Amino acid sequence: MTNPTSGHTVESFNEEMRREHRTVLQMGALVRHQIRNAAKTLRDEDSEAARKVIADDLEVNALDIQVAAHVEAILARRTPVASDLREVLTVAKIATDLERCGDEAGKLAKLTIHFFDSPGIAPNYQLLQEVSKVAGFVELMLQESLDAFDARNIDSACEVIRTAESLDGEFRSALRRLMTFVLEDARTIGQFVDVVLAIRALERIGGHAKNISGYVVYLVTGRDVRHEDLAAIESDLKITDSIS
Amino acid sequence: MIEISPPSKKSEKNFTTRLESVDEFDRVETVGEMFVDRPKVSCLGVSVHYGDKQALFNINLDLGRNEVLALIGPSGCGKTTFLRCINRMNDTIEGCRVDGEIKIEGAEINHSDADVVSLRSKVGMVFQKPNPFPKSIFDNIAYGPRIHGLSGPKNELDDIVESALKRAGLWEEVSDRLHTPATGLSGGQQQRLCIARAIAVNPEVILMDEPCSALDPIATARIEELIDDLREKFTIAIVTHSMHQAARVSQRTAYFHMGHLVEVGVTDQMFTNPRQRLTEDYITGRFG
Repeated sequence: MTNPTSGHTVESFNEEMRREHRTVLQMGALVRHQIRNAAKTLRDEDSEAARKVIADDLEVNALDIQVAAHVEAILARRTPVASDLREVLTVAKIATDLERCGDEAGKLAKLTIHFFDSPGIAPNYQLLQEVSKVAGFVELMLQESLDAFDARNIDSACEVIRTAESLDGEFRSALRRLMTFVLEDARTIGQFVDVVLAIRALERIGGHAKNISGYVVYLVTGRDVRHEDLAAIESDLKITDSIS
Repeated sequence: MIEISPPSKKSEKNFTTRLESVDEFDRVETVGEMFVDRPKVSCLGVSVHYGDKQALFNINLDLGRNEVLALIGPSGCGKTTFLRCINRMNDTIEGCRVDGEIKIEGAEINHSDADVVSLRSKVGMVFQKPNPFPKSIFDNIAYGPRIHGLSGPKNELDDIVESALKRAGLWEEVSDRLHTPATGLSGGQQQRLCIARAIAVNPEVILMDEPCSALDPIATARIEELIDDLREKFTIAIVTHSMHQAARVSQRTAYFHMGHLVEVGVTDQMFTNPRQRLTEDYITGRFG
């Protein structure tokens, strides 16, 4: 495909497109840090660091608003078409998904504050391990989806979608493991619910990574695959490949 | 109910090779929906030479019924030359040779027996710059019906003038000054007058060569609205340098480059996901 961030006769258009592309990647880096740091605050039992994760979300929110304003200006002033239009729409959608990922990371940080700043039974270390594990998993998905966006790589995007389809299974198996702790000690039921909600928040981040990968397929091919499963997407892409 | 000619099954023979550069022209043919079912105008293998210089290369393109077809491309790409082939305007250029078939309702327009005057009553043309005759508004509209013998008694001519002005969306503005000079109208009104003049002879096809390039945005919007209304009755081909105008007014878009028809497609698709790299580069402002 034509690279939407270069080649325009009007160089300032190239620069505007590059700027939004970079801003989204910058947002992605911030959100990945938030996810990693939020999971670390749980491991380290560090409420202060958790408060910083929540505060850092303001920066992600500000970038989200900045991208929305710039996208509005580009649409109004440049009226982009074809791959340029898809790039602008993709950037806007990715920014929205990343902003929501930041919110989910904030929920994780709030769990740290809830567990370690409040009186009560100290949380079961093994319960928290499940959170760290899923956090590492979805952070990697998010990174790979953003790499796919940066490189406009459909294969990598499909790989993330494949991973996302297995995320539900991961969530269920984590739930089964957590259940065993509850069965052993009913006093952990409150913690169990909190941890399940935290893992559910992380699962949503995985869903956003899947969305971002879907946008990459749209960006490159023009096909909206958000509501299709991977088999249908790959089948369509094969047909398109064989034509072109 | 507007009956639009659907893309034809003939388009199954479309070509799918992607053009990556101008140098590849020699081995690549047009991509997209060049043909429609039951075309109003059918062009097959049309080439145009101006003396030794070839301006159009083997163009295959149909104009469908009740369709607005936008012709886009950089300056000098051949879109106006193609437009002028459809009413034999190129006949007036010395050294110009048109090869290939151009049929309107199945009748070859370049046939030696074809009547050019009758052809031009069937195929109206609107130019870039409004060109009203130095006559009254009424006489501008009445001119065509008179020379084509379409008008009978005076009141019949009045009806033709009123109907054409109404269809062109100009009646309300000029009904009280029909016998004043047409040159006193604003640019946008003059262009609508030219459209009214074209439709007064009941054409089947209207050719428009950058009809809004000399108009302000409001006058442009009125012409675009008019084009949309006229589509109910006529087939329209419009040459435009405005990508957004092509996107707004047409159902299909054809992209020309250096005398070649590179791609034809449904307008929505052409402006969101064109198949040819060259088309994409042009509509996104990468060259022109």
